Amino acid sequence: MRVATDIGGTFTDLVFFEYDKKNKEVTNVKVSKSSTTPGEYEKGILNTIKKIDLDLNTIEFFAHGTTVVINAITERKGAKTALITTEGFRDVLEIARGTRPDLYNFNFKKEAPFVARYLRHEVKERINYLGEIITPLDTRNVDEMVKYFISENVESIAICLLHAYKNPIHEKQLGELIKQNYPNIEVITSHEVSREWREYERTSSTVLSAYVKPIATKYLNNLTDNLRKLGYKNNLYIMQSNGGITTVEDVKANPITLIESGPASGMLGAVVLGRTIGKENLIVLDIGGTTAKCTLIENGTPKIVTTYNIEKTKTQAGFPILTPVIDIVEIGNGGGSIAWLDDGGKMRVGPKSAGANPGPSSYGKGGINFTTTDANVVCNRIHKDYFLGGELIPDFKSIEKAARPLCKELDMTIEEVARGVIRVANSNMVNALKSVSVNKGYDPRDFTLVVIGGGGPMHGAYLAEELQIPEVIIPLNAGVFSAFGMLMSDLRRDYIRTDVMDLNADNFSTLKNVFQEMKDEAVEAYRRDLYEKEDVAFEYYLDLRYDGQEHSVKLKLTDLSNLQMDFIEKAFNDLHKKRYAFSLTDTKIEIVNYHLVAEVIVNKPVIAKVIAKGKNVEDALISIENVDFDVYGIHKSNFYDREKLEPEMTIQGPAIVVEPSTSTVVPPKHQFIIDEYANIIISKIK
Amino acid sequence: MSLNKFTSDIIQDSLISIGEAMFETIQRTSMSPIIYEALDYAVGITDGEGRLLAQGNGVITFLAAMSLVVEETLERFGEDNPLKEGDVIIANTPYVGGGTHLSDIAIITPVFYKGERVAFTVNKAHWTDIGGTNPGSVSTVSTEIYQEGLHFPFIKIKEEGKLNHAVIKMLEGNVRLPKSTLGDLFSGIAANDVGAGRIIKLIEKYGLDAYTQAAEEFMEYGERISLKELQKIPNGVYENTGCIENDGFGNGPFPLKLKIIISNENMICDFTGSHEQLKGPLNLSRTGLETAVRAAFKSITTPTLPANNGSFKHVKLICPDNTVVSANSPAPISVYYEVFLAAIDLLLKTLGPIVPEKLPAGHFRSVCVTYISGIHPVTNEFYVQAEALSGGWGACAFHDGNRGQFSYAHGESHNIPAETRERKYGVIVEEYSFHNEGGGYGEFQGGNGQYLTFKILSEEAFLTGAFLGYSIPTWGLNEGKEGSYNYFTVIRTDGTEETYNVVTNVKLNKGDRVKLVTATGGGYGNPENRPLEKILSDLKNGFITKEQALENYPKIAKA
Repeated sequence: MRVATDIGGTFTDLVFFEYDKKNKEVTNVKVSKSSTTPGEYEKGILNTIKKIDLDLNTIEFFAHGTTVVINAITERKGAKTALITTEGFRDVLEIARGTRPDLYNFNFKKEAPFVARYLRHEVKERINYLGEIITPLDTRNVDEMVKYFISENVESIAICLLHAYKNPIHEKQLGELIKQNYPNIEVITSHEVSREWREYERTSSTVLSAYVKPIATKYLNNLTDNLRKLGYKNNLYIMQSNGGITTVEDVKANPITLIESGPASGMLGAVVLGRTIGKENLIVLDIGGTTAKCTLIENGTPKIVTTYNIEKTKTQAGFPILTPVIDIVEIGNGGGSIAWLDDGGKMRVGPKSAGANPGPSSYGKGGINFTTTDANVVCNRIHKDYFLGGELIPDFKSIEKAARPLCKELDMTIEEVARGVIRVANSNMVNALKSVSVNKGYDPRDFTLVVIGGGGPMHGAYLAEELQIPEVIIPLNAGVFSAFGMLMSDLRRDYIRTDVMDLNADNFSTLKNVFQEMKDEAVEAYRRDLYEKEDVAFEYYLDLRYDGQEHSVKLKLTDLSNLQMDFIEKAFNDLHKKRYAFSLTDTKIEIVNYHLVAEVIVNKPVIAKVIAKGKNVEDALISIENVDFDVYGIHKSNFYDREKLEPEMTIQGPAIVVEPSTSTVVPPKHQFIIDEYANIIISKIK
Repeated sequence: MSLNKFTSDIIQDSLISIGEAMFETIQRTSMSPIIYEALDYAVGITDGEGRLLAQGNGVITFLAAMSLVVEETLERFGEDNPLKEGDVIIANTPYVGGGTHLSDIAIITPVFYKGERVAFTVNKAHWTDIGGTNPGSVSTVSTEIYQEGLHFPFIKIKEEGKLNHAVIKMLEGNVRLPKSTLGDLFSGIAANDVGAGRIIKLIEKYGLDAYTQAAEEFMEYGERISLKELQKIPNGVYENTGCIENDGFGNGPFPLKLKIIISNENMICDFTGSHEQLKGPLNLSRTGLETAVRAAFKSITTPTLPANNGSFKHVKLICPDNTVVSANSPAPISVYYEVFLAAIDLLLKTLGPIVPEKLPAGHFRSVCVTYISGIHPVTNEFYVQAEALSGGWGACAFHDGNRGQFSYAHGESHNIPAETRERKYGVIVEEYSFHNEGGGYGEFQGGNGQYLTFKILSEEAFLTGAFLGYSIPTWGLNEGKEGSYNYFTVIRTDGTEETYNVVTNVKLNKGDRVKLVTATGGGYGNPENRPLEKILSDLKNGFITKEQALENYPKIAKA
């Protein structure tokens, strides 16, 4: 039996799979939900376990996704952290890149760095870009420095020295020295976090990892102890931002890898679903309460980037983190997003959200703002008996009150306002979907849209139509999809290393050596987790650019043993042309980064087909009501209970499919089928 | 009101998102570090008549340039020589519509839908080298435009889809870094194509009428909001004087005159009386001045809203021809950005006391650009390291001044990391830190200026730079104290130091150090009102010295 838990902003989810030992098909799925317990997140998990009386003695695999890292950062509740840099560079962290996205606001205020200047100290040492030692490391002032940090109650020290991505020797020496003499203080060095160049980005990443290290370690230790007490015997696996799981020990060494733990697992769930049903080119959209997140998956592989940035907005530069993250675009546009008029009378939706408390006005809990969810209620796209899982009846008086200022200002009826809100929200999401597809040279017509989260299924058909995406999939268990993704995930480690050189046949042996070094490192890391060399599978990528460019494009190498220059060159030229509309065929190509993916495939269940029992569509019918489909008009529509629909059914829109966690909207001129895995697949009738 | 309003809103948002896609294309594919790191470029979308609909800016210096360069294109391609589908125009004429200096190249693409011209996509970017006397095409001692590089007076780089190979060859033969220059050209053409394709799709979806209507409404919206904000500012006539300290030949200072007239209908900025155009390249074109005026207007009316043609309907510029801020041919102009900052500084210094909650005290007021050229000690390739430096900002009514920010002329610009710089240019960076040369005391303290010191490893190299603000410190506001100065020094291997501010081609030898210094910003409010704990915190963090605190903050002296 396998268990996965996912901590979200509002709820902690637990998903539990039983499966047939022989054919690995899932035979039973259970879901348990409990309130998230900020501050002591492990309590929420234990509550979900108790709620369904789960016996952990019988669990062979326990995976966990957590927001503990990102919360510690956004709430500024991490440890007091100090920084040690190369002499002359302690202010790099605060200077950052000097960027001001808020161009015309001269009262701009730059965000304060995570380490104040008095805790940023320097050591005499220098390595050049070739990795040569110019000035040897002088450790004479280190003792005094660390004592000062301790006197200032520092709990964690980040070390980032120049060109350590190329030669980490000084970082290693300095880190070891402090660890040996001061075992009670956390220490993390930049090359353990990232082997990419650019000192500000690497310093920022190292500082943030140090900042969350004590809190993440404590949390993971508590969780491990508690699970052990409840009888769990095996390794606890943690979901990372790269869409793979890893061991607790690995995460504790560099906890920043957890930064997007939750969203990554939802995206990974979509990958697994796609593989199961034979659709490998997907655009995944996850609409929650506050945000919508999307990613593009090509050939069954999500894109991994290391240029992640938290708190980057249209007015702030944010903080970069060099860690492998599934390339997700996130916008402030969820079910709870508030509709408002700007100074010029333009309708806006989000990024402010009514959150879970008081929530949208339709919850009747004192929410005074009109939200996307309220607009869907006004259009009658959510069945009133199934609102919020049937726990509430929408409060129409409260909705009307919330909509009143908008109606008055725009001189429109509430129905018109509701349609407008949904249109604007859809437009925001279309722009986000374009940024992961069209803007990067992909044609959405070649993809399938997978919508998850509470809000996804309500908007999916409209978004697909706008982008000319032929099919929309609403997976079974769309509401707990993140936990599902974790259960389907393999062990994964990404190694990225900057080592700039020309791409040519003369450098192939160097190229292989670099990858070999990285492979050795990966094998060694997995050995510590008790996996054998033979268990590890590798994928090879190069970040390439034309000589003179700054930004690179990631190219996958299919085979390292048979490298062919003309083949790689052509592949890169084609890729560049696809993404940027031109290629420079007579320009030298440069390798910037080596990227190795090392995976250990774990024993996983497979998704089982659902057997049709020959039910009638009519049996699933709940009611027939008028639904407002905006441009398609108002139509009498069938409301169906999803649980009673079964494979091979084909149903024409207009229709609404109802389940506790969401509603699927099928507009007129659309139809849907239930596939053999009980997914809903919507397409336009031609 | 009809639901079409939402369609209109959606088309407007789509235009902005198209601008973002164009912007990203350039950032990702250009070859000049000054484009992809400094983001010294802008993209724009105008309607078929050149009225600005959306723009993406990396820096503010091109705010007015996008629409003006399209207007100028339309002037030059009239009925006798009309623009056709597939045409792409290249232009860098400094003195006319949309011009800044020769290094900034505009690429203009007319967009056609069913044979009708419906829009323009346009971008303007700073190429590292465009030929001329000096590497980087910037000189502080040029006396004519001809010394500053190649000039493309609005010519077709593509004609009906066909690349003009003659121009390409000329370009290749006249610049120092032909590969990177051509890369930048293709990057600019590609970005416009990306935008054009998306605009056509948008029109196909909503129809040309809805599209045109949305564009009209968008401009009307920009106008409505900015007018509303303007009317909150007290009416009056406000006069002030600023200066350009140096013309590149050691002459100066030269006065800048400004009269701002604010009424309920307009903000008029009149620069009549400013000094005539200078002998050296510290001159600004009318477009540059127009940008300064629009940026100042925007900062006190609608700083966060997207800019379009309507946003600037109620701001007017008056300035006679041939002044230092409205220069004409053949005035040299390559260091225009220092004059641009002097102009915007004067505008904000004049407006600051009127809207003290909207504007801060003076910032370091210089782009602090240096160019270093030489032969890379390891690769033996020729390099030009062009960079701007960040510095201290003035404090404002709400917080202390920022440290380590680029000038007002910038925006999304990025500095050059030491780790990439050392590989690319073969120098070694020794110091990148805040200094405490003093100044900026106030209830809110001005942001510290900065040092950047690097050692030259080439056998020889040449240094060009222009740092104004070397003789006049950054100004304080509301009893805040003035800040400090910008300058740079060369420290020779024997320890002798030479201090510079505006200079061309100082010869450097292996082992020499270049130390760049930017100013501390001005303070805001009376220093007597600064809380003790903030002063103590500044002391602990080393942002001010003990001596400075004792001398300038009476509270510390008492405590």
